[in-house]
Amino acid sequence: MTGHYSRMSWRQTVVGLTAVALVACYAPTLRGMFEQWLNDEDMSHGFLVPIVMLWIVWRERARRRGLETDPNWWGFAILTAAAGLQFAGLLGAGLFAGSVALLVSVAGSVLCLGGLAWLRVLAFPLVLAIFMLPKLAVVYNQATLPLQLLASRIAAGILTFGGIGVIREGNILAVSGHRVAVVEACNGIRYLLPLSFMAVVFAYVSDSKPWMRLVLLAAAVPIAILANAVRVAAAGWVPALEGGVPHAVCGLFIFVLCVATLMLFRQLFNKVYVRYQS
Amino acid sequence: MNKLTALLLWSTLSLSLNAQISLGPTVATFGVLAGSTVTNSGPTVVTGNLGVSPGTAITGFTGIAPGGPGTVTGTIDSANATAAQAQTELTAAYNSAAGAAVTATKAGDLGGQTLFPGVYMSTSTLGITGTLTLDAQGNANAQFIFQIASALTTATSSSVVLINGANAANVFWQIGSSATLGTSSTFAGDILALSSISLGTGAVLSGRALARNGAVTLLSNTITTPAGSGGATPTPAPSTLILGAAALACIGIYQTRERLLKAFRRN
Repeated sequence: MTGHYSRMSWRQTVVGLTAVALVACYAPTLRGMFEQWLNDEDMSHGFLVPIVMLWIVWRERARRRGLETDPNWWGFAILTAAAGLQFAGLLGAGLFAGSVALLVSVAGSVLCLGGLAWLRVLAFPLVLAIFMLPKLAVVYNQATLPLQLLASRIAAGILTFGGIGVIREGNILAVSGHRVAVVEACNGIRYLLPLSFMAVVFAYVSDSKPWMRLVLLAAAVPIAILANAVRVAAAGWVPALEGGVPHAVCGLFIFVLCVATLMLFRQLFNKVYVRYQS
Repeated sequence: MNKLTALLLWSTLSLSLNAQISLGPTVATFGVLAGSTVTNSGPTVVTGNLGVSPGTAITGFTGIAPGGPGTVTGTIDSANATAAQAQTELTAAYNSAAGAAVTATKAGDLGGQTLFPGVYMSTSTLGITGTLTLDAQGNANAQFIFQIASALTTATSSSVVLINGANAANVFWQIGSSATLGTSSTFAGDILALSSISLGTGAVLSGRALARNGAVTLLSNTITTPAGSGGATPTPAPSTLILGAAALACIGIYQTRERLLKAFRRN
């Protein structure tokens, strides 16, 4: 019994020391991620991701009970690759490379200390960590303008369909004497990221089928883009919604509608799936 | 010596890149402004104000004697203080455009070309046959300034296409004499002409027709005053922290509802 407890405490010490070593090695990366969540309103949902990850780890505690530890030497290879990536990040590849290296290091450490079974159990929260990665500037910069123009185009279409006269000049909408600019912060990414995150978490808590996570993730993309255009159209249609608290409340309300749409989509998809199966 | 050359080149490039002009607040409200007369035939629609100064004659529009088929969504200003102020601001904008540092020289026909933001100068006339594409390269504030010493003439069914965030409000055509837009042509940008401006039958102008001294002649045209990015209200979405928290709250509510429903069914 004493031996079992001493083995447990030894294992916990090793895990604790590994966690401390990871934090120490990746301190600049963690600081950079924290600063981005704090300063960039496109990425501030990053604060929620670790909380949800920890909650899922806690929720899965029953699966880990009685799980044998079978340290896997491949973990060291993964740790070495992650170290190389972190080094590249420090040399100038940027915060994104360092953050990916951090995730790979955590996965490598789990493999080293616990083995493949442990990595499998912790795979979902680790995958979820992708949502807290910083912006990949190359992709973000390429996607921003097309998304802005897409939002402008759809919003102008919605207004025209509603019988409201609108003139679109690139990312500017002129509606009944006032002008609405679809700036970078209106490009839809602010809807897309939290809705995708929500879709994956929702599928996890509400559905036993792992592929449902991918289905909901795919559905979240058009829903977020369309909802963002509806938000822009609303601001164009009702000048009172252009700024301040009404604008924020409108944005939040439409997002909640998005979430409800996604939930409804899951139910409908499940019904169709069940009918198809039977 | 090399350093001095580099410095000079850099200064020229900086000046060129920083060339930004804007219309004054009064003239910006005008879709059509002439120095002598505004004449219209056919169902022309002008979005914005229409005015003339120092001349007085405006013909072919509803709302001003003797009336006509043309429509103006804004006000009609004939030789009043507003029109005079607009002319003053037009002269200022014209001079700014004429004085902008040149990035490239153009001659002949611009049709079939794709141009990036900059200041383009022509020492003679310029024409557009086919399509001229103006590519803002993702910068919605990028300006295109054309300095044309003589006339601008566009061919029948020619078009000026704006891509990658280019905005008609940021395109300026400073013309030393007159501008003539071809029948059924599509044109973008503010025409700042020293003399007259003529639009062919059915020509569509996304911009302004502003003539300092001469007449503006219209024939069943559509003129839409562009919405400049200046003054437009940005509509950012709430932060992803708020949205993410709202989404998690929704999941929580959904789960609670499911649990309660299960308990209810069990009982």
